[in-house]
Amino acid sequence: MQKTITRIHDFKLPTAILGACLLQDHRELIAACLDGIYRVELDTKKHQRIGGHDSYVSSAVYIPEQQTFITAGYDGKLKWFSAQDNSLLREEKVHAFWSWDMALSADQRWLASVTGQYLAGDYKYSPAQETEASVKILDATDGKLVHALRHVPSVQSVAFSHNSQWIAAGNLMGEVRVWDVASGEQVGGFESKDFTSWGIIKSHCYLGGIFAMEFSPDDSELIVCGMGDMRDPMAGNGKQLWQRWNWKESKLVAQTNEKQAGEGLMESLVLHPARDSFLMGGRLRGGDWNAALFDLSSGERIGTIKSGYRITQMLFDNQGRLVVVGGQGQPGKSNEGKFPDFGRVEVYELKT
Amino acid sequence: MAEHSENQNRVTGDCGSPEHRAHRRLFLQGAMASGLASAASFNALFSVPALAQETKKRGKKCILLWLCGAPSQFETWDPKPGTISGGPFAAIPTSIPGLQISQLMPRCASIMDKLSVIRSMSTEPSEHFQGIDVLTRGEQPRPPFTRPILGSVVAEQLGQLDSPVPQFVLLEPCPEGNEFKSFKAGNWAGWLGAQYGPVRSGGEFAIPDILKPESLSQLDHEDREALRSFLSRKFQNDQQSQAAEGYNAAFNRVKGLMSCAPLFDLEKLPQADRDRYGPGAFAQYALQARHLIENGSTFVMVANGMPWDNHVFQHEMHQMLVPELDNILFQLIGDLEDRGMLQDTMVIAMGEFGRTPWLNEARGRDHYSKAWSLAMAGGGIRPGVVVGQTDPLGFEVTENPIDNRRLFATIFKALGIDPKEQYDLPDLPTFHRVEGNVQPIEELLVG
Repeated sequence: MQKTITRIHDFKLPTAILGACLLQDHRELIAACLDGIYRVELDTKKHQRIGGHDSYVSSAVYIPEQQTFITAGYDGKLKWFSAQDNSLLREEKVHAFWSWDMALSADQRWLASVTGQYLAGDYKYSPAQETEASVKILDATDGKLVHALRHVPSVQSVAFSHNSQWIAAGNLMGEVRVWDVASGEQVGGFESKDFTSWGIIKSHCYLGGIFAMEFSPDDSELIVCGMGDMRDPMAGNGKQLWQRWNWKESKLVAQTNEKQAGEGLMESLVLHPARDSFLMGGRLRGGDWNAALFDLSSGERIGTIKSGYRITQMLFDNQGRLVVVGGQGQPGKSNEGKFPDFGRVEVYELKT
Repeated sequence: MAEHSENQNRVTGDCGSPEHRAHRRLFLQGAMASGLASAASFNALFSVPALAQETKKRGKKCILLWLCGAPSQFETWDPKPGTISGGPFAAIPTSIPGLQISQLMPRCASIMDKLSVIRSMSTEPSEHFQGIDVLTRGEQPRPPFTRPILGSVVAEQLGQLDSPVPQFVLLEPCPEGNEFKSFKAGNWAGWLGAQYGPVRSGGEFAIPDILKPESLSQLDHEDREALRSFLSRKFQNDQQSQAAEGYNAAFNRVKGLMSCAPLFDLEKLPQADRDRYGPGAFAQYALQARHLIENGSTFVMVANGMPWDNHVFQHEMHQMLVPELDNILFQLIGDLEDRGMLQDTMVIAMGEFGRTPWLNEARGRDHYSKAWSLAMAGGGIRPGVVVGQTDPLGFEVTENPIDNRRLFATIFKALGIDPKEQYDLPDLPTFHRVEGNVQPIEELLVG
């Protein structure tokens, strides 16, 4: 059944937002931005820069039990903040390179952060082997390392299963590995060639990969997203692509219906609270949507958003409203020394 | 002269061995670097020691690392850490006190006193084809006349046309690249004449040419096939009669070049060197450039498609491309110095312009020609110099803007070529090697 997705609220932040989390009452947002960490009141649009990293801030998660939020950045650090007064509680240098993505387990016990610099590994520019563990699982409370897991750089997305038993991480080459959180033992995975381009035109190296993932409601499958293959990766015109995989059997279950996909990198996935559908969002390069709602069982597209900017994360609040964050292109001209804001926050309602 | 020609024929003559035929085939396919091993060492090709010595004689030479697509100055030579335009990468100190470059270039940072950087390049074209044209020829086009590319000028001025070793070589594993491919289909040597055009090697990543262009009618297509078939049979017959070698000077020239095939064989280079330069195609070809320069080539241009044109995934791509370039420059300059060749061999690393101080929505940086950077070393370039500067956000050049003319005047002067000399060729209007009576960048010139 088709759904109408209607924007009811929107405003801007100074710079593009790469990740976000909702705080306790879902009226506030922590935004991970190019220029730092912002605390944002969704209804009033008031925002305050409460800290930063030594580079872009890439993701944020909130731990309700501890009343803390944690940010990760391209400086390879994780930072713990008090949600009560925004004070910095702890910081850990977790990676030598970026934290591309961070996730919190549903039971709030574990944090995972993924890293990896893409470096030339052979004549055709396959990625070189990792020089540090690409996936790290930390104790969410004290930041102590629990597992350092091996993968092939760059590892760009990570997710915990809903039962907090498994963790999955996907990389540039479309390879997903799944581990048992308790033991750190790899228990499954798959490799999809459909998300990675080797640019015979212009760039004979690898681009793309898996940019976001979610376990299915029963944890038996993984939904992953990115962008389809391109002859010229610099065109950015790969298909808006999701795939569903049975990760225990390395078996592709379903994927984007070609007739319902446009072009552009997809880098955000979120399950609908009803657990009967999921949203995928990113950038619009060609077509008429850059976020869409898909029925989980049939894979059919049942609603769309055309935001006019790159979507980097989508979250559902406790009222079933959709919070979307991202950024426009960075302005090239300043107005008396100040650049126009280009970070975007929007709230949508979904109706049948 | 006759004696020289005779010697020339002797050293380049096709002995008819299967090995030579293999090299010719490879050469004509533009795929010499794909690695058929040759049993002959390069030196063994020269039956006259004096000629070998002459061919390898010391003189000014140049390696151009052509960073096609245009690299970002922010992620290389002119970082702006902590600013809105600076991107995610930090800046690091270098061996020159007070000078910082991108954290992606730690090896170059350690030898910054041997490199020189222009941070104030400011040129006009901001599209690839026009930018490539101006930054490889030094001047805007003036149809119908075609100014020779830098390599052709250097080969003509400093090279030895009768050498069996190609004087101007273009190495490129990936001949695709949209605008670069179009550019390469044009006239390289311009009014100097085709003999000063590059010998091109590489191409293993070419797209197979299997589709008939829409502009070609079926009738034309069949006519061409008939002609190809005729010439093919004729060539085969001529070969059997052993007459092919004597046809004309052009063919002899090709034969001469074929005799140098071992120089193009990456597999013949020491594995330790190959490992040092890094595994990527561009790194391997940069090593081959060093090898060619060592063995008598005058100008070697290394290109690699258009990998730097990161309208999408700017930082995701530059995190790989810049460290590779960093290591290539480090190894190349170190090798040339170890061999006593750096003083006479100029290394240039540049593209056709820079990238925007702002990011687009697709995580990319777009074309930007108003303020960008390049690096040079050796061959008459004073080391450890930084020319010009940009404003704190990298939008504008604030000191000592350098355009293509001043750059070329500097390159020519450093190589000992008169930038102001007038071309004296029949039916040619008045053209100078560098137009506009511009001055070289004196601070960049040795002594």
